[in-house]
Amino acid sequence: MSHQDQDEFRDESVSLWRIAFAPTVWAFHFLLCYAGGAVWCAKFGAAQGVGFLRISVLGLTVLALALIVWQGWRSARQWEPHDASATDLHRPESRHRFLGHAAFLLSIISGVGVIYVALPALFITSCR
Amino acid sequence: MAGEGVQGPRSDKAILPRRAVCLLPLVLIAGCTGRQSALAPAGEDAAQLKLLLLVMLAGAVVLWLALNGLFYYVTRIRPGAFHIRHANRLIIGAGVIFPTVLIGALLAWGLSIMPGQRAPGDGLVIRVKAEEWWWRVEYWPQGSDAPITSANEIRLPTGSRTELRLTANLYIHSLWIPALGGKMDMIPGRETVLTLHPQAAGTYRGQCAEFCGASHALMAFETVVMEPDAFAEWLRAEAAPAAAPGGAGAALFRDEGCGACHTIRGTDFAGTVGPDLTHLASRVSLGAGIMQVSRDDLKRWIAHTGDIKPEVAMPAYDWLSDADLDHLATYLEGLR
Amino acid sequence: MTDRTPRGPYPPTEEMLAEPVPEEIQRAQSERLRKVWQTKTGIRYLMSVNNSEVGKWYSLTCLAFMLVAGVLALLMRVQLAYPQMQFLDADRFNQFFTMHGSAMMFLFAVPLFEAMAILILPAFLGARDMPFPRLSAFGYWSFLIGGIFVLGSVFFDAAPKSGWFMYPPLATEDEGVGSDIWLLGLSFIEIASIAAAVELIVGVLKCRPPGMRVNMMPLYAWYVLVVGGMILFAFPPLIAGDLLFELERALDWPFFDHTRGGDPIFWQHLFWIFGHPEVYIVFLPSIAIAAMVVPTVAQRPIVGYSWIVLSAVGTGFLSFGLWVHHMFTTGLPLISLGFFSAASEAVVIPTGIQIFAFLATLMVGRVTISLPLLWIAGGLAIFTAGGLTGVMLAIAPFDWQVHDTYFVVAHLHYTLFGGMILPVMAGVYYFFPFFTKRMLSKRLGKWAFWLIFGGFNLTFLPMHLTGLLGMPRRVFTYPGDLGWNTLNLISTVGAFIIAMGFLIFTYDLLRPGKPRLSSRNPWRAGTLEWSDTKTGEDWGVRSIPYITSRYPLWDQPKLVERMDAGRYYLPDAPEGLRETMVTSVIDAKPVQVQRVTGDAWITLWAAGFTGGCFILPTFHLYVPAVISGAFAVVCILYWLWTSTARKPEKPMKDAGLGLSLPTYSAGPESVGWWAMWITMLGDSTAFASIVFGFFFYWTSRADFLPEGAAHADAALLALSVMALALAWALTYAARHLNRAGRIAACRAALIAAPLLAVAGGGVMVLSVMQLAPSSHVYPAVVCALVIWTVAHVAVGVVMQLYCLAGSAFGKIDPDHDADLWNVTLYWHFHVLTVLVTAAIIGLAPRLL
Repeated sequence: MSHQDQDEFRDESVSLWRIAFAPTVWAFHFLLCYAGGAVWCAKFGAAQGVGFLRISVLGLTVLALALIVWQGWRSARQWEPHDASATDLHRPESRHRFLGHAAFLLSIISGVGVIYVALPALFITSCR
Repeated sequence: MAGEGVQGPRSDKAILPRRAVCLLPLVLIAGCTGRQSALAPAGEDAAQLKLLLLVMLAGAVVLWLALNGLFYYVTRIRPGAFHIRHANRLIIGAGVIFPTVLIGALLAWGLSIMPGQRAPGDGLVIRVKAEEWWWRVEYWPQGSDAPITSANEIRLPTGSRTELRLTANLYIHSLWIPALGGKMDMIPGRETVLTLHPQAAGTYRGQCAEFCGASHALMAFETVVMEPDAFAEWLRAEAAPAAAPGGAGAALFRDEGCGACHTIRGTDFAGTVGPDLTHLASRVSLGAGIMQVSRDDLKRWIAHTGDIKPEVAMPAYDWLSDADLDHLATYLEGLR
Repeated sequence: MTDRTPRGPYPPTEEMLAEPVPEEIQRAQSERLRKVWQTKTGIRYLMSVNNSEVGKWYSLTCLAFMLVAGVLALLMRVQLAYPQMQFLDADRFNQFFTMHGSAMMFLFAVPLFEAMAILILPAFLGARDMPFPRLSAFGYWSFLIGGIFVLGSVFFDAAPKSGWFMYPPLATEDEGVGSDIWLLGLSFIEIASIAAAVELIVGVLKCRPPGMRVNMMPLYAWYVLVVGGMILFAFPPLIAGDLLFELERALDWPFFDHTRGGDPIFWQHLFWIFGHPEVYIVFLPSIAIAAMVVPTVAQRPIVGYSWIVLSAVGTGFLSFGLWVHHMFTTGLPLISLGFFSAASEAVVIPTGIQIFAFLATLMVGRVTISLPLLWIAGGLAIFTAGGLTGVMLAIAPFDWQVHDTYFVVAHLHYTLFGGMILPVMAGVYYFFPFFTKRMLSKRLGKWAFWLIFGGFNLTFLPMHLTGLLGMPRRVFTYPGDLGWNTLNLISTVGAFIIAMGFLIFTYDLLRPGKPRLSSRNPWRAGTLEWSDTKTGEDWGVRSIPYITSRYPLWDQPKLVERMDAGRYYLPDAPEGLRETMVTSVIDAKPVQVQRVTGDAWITLWAAGFTGGCFILPTFHLYVPAVISGAFAVVCILYWLWTSTARKPEKPMKDAGLGLSLPTYSAGPESVGWWAMWITMLGDSTAFASIVFGFFFYWTSRADFLPEGAAHADAALLALSVMALALAWALTYAARHLNRAGRIAACRAALIAAPLLAVAGGGVMVLSVMQLAPSSHVYPAVVCALVIWTVAHVAVGVVMQLYCLAGSAFGKIDPDHDADLWNVTLYWHFHVLTVLVTAAIIGLAPRLL
């Protein structure tokens, strides 16, 4: 990486990671729910019902939400919504706060996504 | 040419009044009925889905008007009259909070009705195998160990939930009877299950909904929903062998090799490539829901299969004389 | 090692920028720049690789393909005007609807994104060109050849006819060449799309003007970044699917044949893992155009910049969790359907946020009514209707009723017209003065709008009802007694009204004598592309500016004047080379002067031979195909050798404003390395899709793995892995040895590595020789994984030999090792592929 790139990535590696973090949690939650459901229903569902599957989905959901809330709180602090000092877009502080803001908003959306994806486990009670 | 003279089992004239209803403005959709309409439910599942549709449609119309009305208002009626505060509130309120709650509720409703739509059947099982392009149908009443075979028509009793176990021969198809409920794909090598709970006796049209090649458009069937007693009566009759007439028609049927593909129970004809014809004349339609069981249509079908239904497996017997076709039709019309 | 750190003051001070440039210097600089960037004339015009020329060809080709696909739709509507029409027979109708869908998606919607982006992105970024102009040109020629081949088949009655989704077994069993044309032709175009995605991503990350930090990028660039990323993850599964599909068609390997352990549903997964994100790949760039038009129309900065970025990124992620909503009726367990129903509803929220951010901007701005706004308003009206029916369809039980009916036909056209066509039309009217320095007619524009908007609603609004009344999609005829007749007739009339609208639009677009531009910024917009002069120049920007605002033309008053004067960066071309600036990823600090490739015939030749390699197998001409493929490889190698990573005449050069920048870079500093990284990400996705297949069959089929099946030979496999791992290690070592100046050792490593790689690949093939891939899907998947891996070994070997030649002929030395970096990066990915393949075919069968 160029020296500039290295410096910037050192400054912002946490922020960049934060932007991708919440949607990635959503993606893993979704993938585990879907793959878990598919494998469970194909291999064990007929004999054992879906009790274990539903509990696992809800457990995963609690875990995912905890991660997303933690993440959202940290990016909200990076965003500093009430600090009006750094309004000049071209200053590094502004870029830093922007990344915090975007990460914060993405955690909201990801949180909603995780909750939605957990809903089927509440309503569907068989592998039919 | 394809589609030559294809007609539904009912004549055009009979449905003119219904068509007139459909001409009315689109908002009157609830009033529009049809034999293949999701808006004219005759079963529990379809009724529930119609309610779901109407609620969602009403909501969608309101939301569409609100959103586009707002657009018109802020650009044409009062441009520039708002503060950035309003704008931020709009994004958060109308863009995030409101849809999250509303869609969450709708999703919960949708999920909650799913298990009921796939509830197990009450006893009768019908196995349907989609062929190219027709339907092989087997009735397995509760406790039976051999099926009652039919084709291109499905009969269901009212008041109970019937399980349809579906599969397909070569291609993927989909079984759909809009008046009774949602559709289910029929996949080679897999068995899928559709359960239906009809409530009103009548004849409803079903059609293949998954594109399946040349004659996809010509793969339909009639669903006859009957009161339970009448259904039991019909099933008994269907299980019996054909009251096959003899005569020139029967001889032609044998000489032309029709029996190699078609079964007529109670005779020597036991082919299984094509549809079972045991009670052909008691069915509502011919050629998988595309023609009537009438002398004319029977003759046309035998002589011009490929023209009427492109790429169909049955060859066209276009060398038969009109008299021979008459004999065959007479024979087939006797299969009650 | 040469020190390549940028030297000189940065950022520039106001004092430096205020200093005038002497007139005669300005004139001389302009002269040299003009000469370097001049577009060739006559037949040599076709050599052009500059983004404005390639972008123009690309867009017009898309328009042409769209019109052809539109005519197919009209012919279908004629057939459906009345029940039992005999205008088209079933076979032709099926060809037409298949081609209508395939062409609209693959030859219009997706390529148009690439075309528009190639055309306007550099201007948004104040860049002279895309980072890899010849790659754009190669992509365009590939697209043109593939497109003509695929679409042309319809004139020979040989077109694919199994639907644009090509479901097996119907499509695999189809006789004739239709399915092969679809598969091979579109694979070719998909690869061109991935090339465009790589170029666009690198363009956004590395070719921004100095000062344009990530939080200042035009929203369009954010969308391009997201969409480029989506293409990388969405297209490869389909390419993998195409490979398996063609293996079944050509060699009878039963991936989708249930009688030999295959499963037709697997194709549906692969197709829709591509197919649904693809809808957003089409939709997001068009919304991105709206995001550029709306602030101009409102004459104020966009409200909720972060919100829009969030919604673009969020939509990008969520759109990968929706694919099964195309498969709600395939009988999957309800709980699986539930997950996808939920994700399909969740994606509504970011999509809605984008729209509300536009509304919010218009709310607080001073809106002036103009043609672009009219198209956007129409798009909004149509798209919101399509979005709301989308909310309905995402509820699985409702979908069971209307899936594969005209209700869905209506829904998808509402989303695509409202979400893609109308915003793009807004973009065409908005950007046309920038492209051509002329204005489109207001009067004809209004006519076109109202005909298209009115005709659209007349065609598609009734279809919702047609579907609810029970009419399935893709039927070539229907009986007259089901209440569909009037509705269908209305739709047909509407379709012809839409066609009239497009006819007027096309006439306006192509008619000569349109009025010239009276000012360079006719819409009073704030973004960089409108800094272009009234008459336009081939150089893109006169000098590359330093940016301190999201809307530099509004907020940096002297910007345009200083750009024109050549006050900013790279105002000159003293060496007679085409150059653009490379900046850092996050804060856009100047990093390098990139010499971009110039006009050439070689891209055309390369595209032609690549086309032959894909097209000839359709007709079972395998030997000519292989020869054509070999020529394609030679062309590409020649192109790379002669024009990329060349040693510059001097290590540093003056970039203007006292800043001295390197002219060569290797590894993560270079754009080529980023392109390799991004390409390999897509490549790995395709590989992952085949791996997914292995586990899919294991889940879906009780007879996977079959009892007593033969497995890959473990000993040979282990041997092959060792050889390939050693080849990787030697490649990696070669890079270090070269940098350390140990040239002989480096060359020795580069001789040993390909030998080991060839041996490793050969042994891997031997390890599965006893398998019979046409007997069952298990050996077929194993062999597919081996084919994939061995093909990559072959590419890796060519790369190693290229580096060896580079070292031998002085292209690579301790100071200039970009190629070695890129090849090492390839091998990093490749060694992972080898390990995963070995684990799956060697270990998994013994563990599962």
